[in-house]
Amino acid sequence: MTRAKLLLYAVLALGLLVVVGPFVWMLLSSFKPEAEIRAVPPTWWPHTWTLGNYRDLFSRLDFPQYFANSAIVAVLVTAGNLLFCSLLGYALAKLDFPGRKALFLAVLGMLMVPGMVTFVPQFVLISNMGLANSYAGLVLPFLAGPFGVFLMRQFLLSIPDDLIEAARVDGAGEWRIFWRVVLPLCKPALATLGILTFLASWNNFLWPLVVATTDDKYTLPVALALYSIGQNRAYYGLLLAGAVVVVVPVLIVFLALQRHFMRGIATTGLK
Amino acid sequence: MRRVLAVGVAAALALTACGRDAGDSGETAEAVGAGKATGEVTVWAMGTEGEKLAEFAKGFTAENPDAKVTVTAVPWDSAQQKISSAIAARQTPDVSMIGTTLQGEFAKTGALDPTPAGLFAQDSFFPGAWDTTVVDGTSYGVPWYVETRGIYYRTDLAAKAGFPHGPKTWDDLSAMAAAMRSKAGAKWGISLQPGKTGSWQSILPFGWSNGAQIATADGYTFDTPQLAEALRYYQSFFTGKLAPTDLPQGALEPAFVRGEIGAFMSGPWHVGILNEQGGKDFASKYTVAPMPSKQSSTSFIGGSNIAVFKDANNRDAAWKFLAWLSKPDVQVRWYQTVADLPAVRSAWSDPALSGDPILQVFGEQLKSAKAPPAFPTWSQVAAAFDVQAEKVCVAGADPAAALKAVQNQASSIGTGS
Repeated sequence: MTRAKLLLYAVLALGLLVVVGPFVWMLLSSFKPEAEIRAVPPTWWPHTWTLGNYRDLFSRLDFPQYFANSAIVAVLVTAGNLLFCSLLGYALAKLDFPGRKALFLAVLGMLMVPGMVTFVPQFVLISNMGLANSYAGLVLPFLAGPFGVFLMRQFLLSIPDDLIEAARVDGAGEWRIFWRVVLPLCKPALATLGILTFLASWNNFLWPLVVATTDDKYTLPVALALYSIGQNRAYYGLLLAGAVVVVVPVLIVFLALQRHFMRGIATTGLK
Repeated sequence: MRRVLAVGVAAALALTACGRDAGDSGETAEAVGAGKATGEVTVWAMGTEGEKLAEFAKGFTAENPDAKVTVTAVPWDSAQQKISSAIAARQTPDVSMIGTTLQGEFAKTGALDPTPAGLFAQDSFFPGAWDTTVVDGTSYGVPWYVETRGIYYRTDLAAKAGFPHGPKTWDDLSAMAAAMRSKAGAKWGISLQPGKTGSWQSILPFGWSNGAQIATADGYTFDTPQLAEALRYYQSFFTGKLAPTDLPQGALEPAFVRGEIGAFMSGPWHVGILNEQGGKDFASKYTVAPMPSKQSSTSFIGGSNIAVFKDANNRDAAWKFLAWLSKPDVQVRWYQTVADLPAVRSAWSDPALSGDPILQVFGEQLKSAKAPPAFPTWSQVAAAFDVQAEKVCVAGADPAAALKAVQNQASSIGTGS
C-alpha cells in the first residue's frame, strides 16, 4: 500500500469512528444499569451487563401493538409515495399538458413551506373529517409529498424520450408505457424515495402524538417517549434501549436497499 | 425544532382562541349533580401517572359501579403540543393532567371548565398549589400532586464544615459552601443551576425569601431591589467559585455521591435517584434542609393540576372523579403508588408520609411555597428570564441590569390576560 492510500484509510477510519462511535455507545449502554450510564467519565464496555432496560421496556409497553402501528403506517405511507410521486413526476417530466409549468412551480413552492406552519390547520382539517385517532388520519396527509414528486421528476428527465416514443410506436398505451417501460427504469430513484419516506414515517413523532388520542394508536417513537422522560428526570436506560429497538428495523431496510440507494443519489445528483 | 413548533402551535392556538368564548374573568361554573358517577371518563395523564392511573382508578369504579375511567398516557416532553393541538381541533378528552406552569396558557384558550363551587374545599389544599389553578380570579381544576425544592447536603461534609445541622440562613449557606471546599475537601461547595431552561425555579425562591414580588395583578415586576439582591446573592456562588458553571448533565449525582459536590438544590424526586446511585448505605450520608431564609424560608411549588375540559362528553362524572382523587385517603394511596406528594394537606398526617424525615422537610416547606403567576404568557417570560439568568451566572453580567432586561421583555410580552 502506498503512503497516500494509508493516509486515506486513516482519515476514513477516523471519520467512521466519529460517526459510529455514539451509535456503538448507545448499543452498549442499553445493557448498563442506570447508574453506570450516568457515570462520569463514561464507560464503553459495560461493567455490569443487564437486560433490565429491555425487560422494563417490553413489560411496560404494549410493544406488539405499537410496533404494528408503526409498521402499518410506514408501509402504507411508503407505498403511497412510490405510486403517487412517480405518477406526478412522470406527468411533469414527460407529458405535455396545459399548466404543467404552473403545477411544477406549485410543487416547488410547497417544498418551501415548513411543516410546522401547516401542522395545526392540518390537524383541525383531519379531525373535522372525523379521522382523528384512526389509521386513515395517521397515513392520509403523508401519502404524497412535494419532495418525492420533485425527486421523481428530476430522475425521469434523464430517461430518453426515444424510449417512450419507441414504445408508443409499438402500440403501447400510456398506462402500459408507465408501468412496463418507465417504472422499471426508475428503480434507483424509487429505492431512494422508498427509504427516505420509510425513515421519515418511522421516525415521525409529532403527528402520531397529536392525531392518536388514545394510546392504542400510538406509534413506536411516541410510545417510547411515554415513560423514558419524566417531569423532572430522564430514565436513560429506557431511552437507550428504546432507541436501539427503533433503529433496528430501519437498519434492515437500509441494508436491503443500500445498493440502489447509493446509485439513486448519484444519478439524480441530489443529496 | 420542537421549540419552533411549540411557538407555531401557540400562535395558531391564539388565532383559533379568538373565535371561541375565551375565559372572561369571573366565569361561573355550573353545579355538578348529586349521586354516583356514571359512564366513561376519558383522561390524559403524563408519564408514570399515565402508566399507573388506569389501574388505580379501579378504586373509583368500585365506589361508582356504573362509571369507567379510560386513561391515555401522554409523554411529558410533548404534552404541551398535544394538549394545545387538541384544544385547537376540539379533540380534548374529558379530563387532563396539566403541569402547574402551563395552567395559565391553557385556561386562557377558554377550553377549561371552571371549578364548580362547593365541590372542593379550597383550604384543604396547600395555598400555593391552589393558586396555580386560579387564572383571572377563576379556578380551573384542582391541584393533584405537588413538589417543592430544598437544599440537599452531605451530612458528613457539613459537619466538617462546621454546620452539623445544615444551613439556616443565606449567610449560613454561603459559609457552608465555602467551608465545604476549604475544610471538608469538596471540589464544589454547592451546585446551583447556572441559567438555562427552568433556572427560574431555583432563583425565584431566593427572591421570595427576600420579600420580592415578581408580579402584581397588573403585570410582571422583575425590576425590584429585592429580586436584584437575591440574584446578586445567587451569582455570588459562581463568582466565588463555590458552584460549577459547566457541570455536564447527569454529572451532579455521581459527584455528590463521591463527595466532590457538597450540596445542591432540588426537589423530592432526587431522593430516589441518589439512593439508586449511591447504594444502600448512602441514604445515611445526606439529608435535606429547608430553603435558607433571609426574611423567610420560601420555596417554589410545582407539580400538576388536573382539570376538566368544557367540551367534555361526561362533565358530571369527570368532576366526581376529580373529587375522588382529592380525598385525603386516595391521595395517600396515590403517593404509595407513584410517590407523588399529596396536594391535600391532611394527607400528610398519614404515617406513610409523616414517618419520613426528608418528606417532613418538604411538607413543611410546602406550607409557604409559592408559584409564579398563572398568566398565560408565563412560559414565554420564564424563557426570557432563563436567558438573562445564564448571563448573570456564567458571564458575570450585572444582576440589576439583567433584571431590567427581563422586565423590558416581560412588559412587551404582557400578561396576556
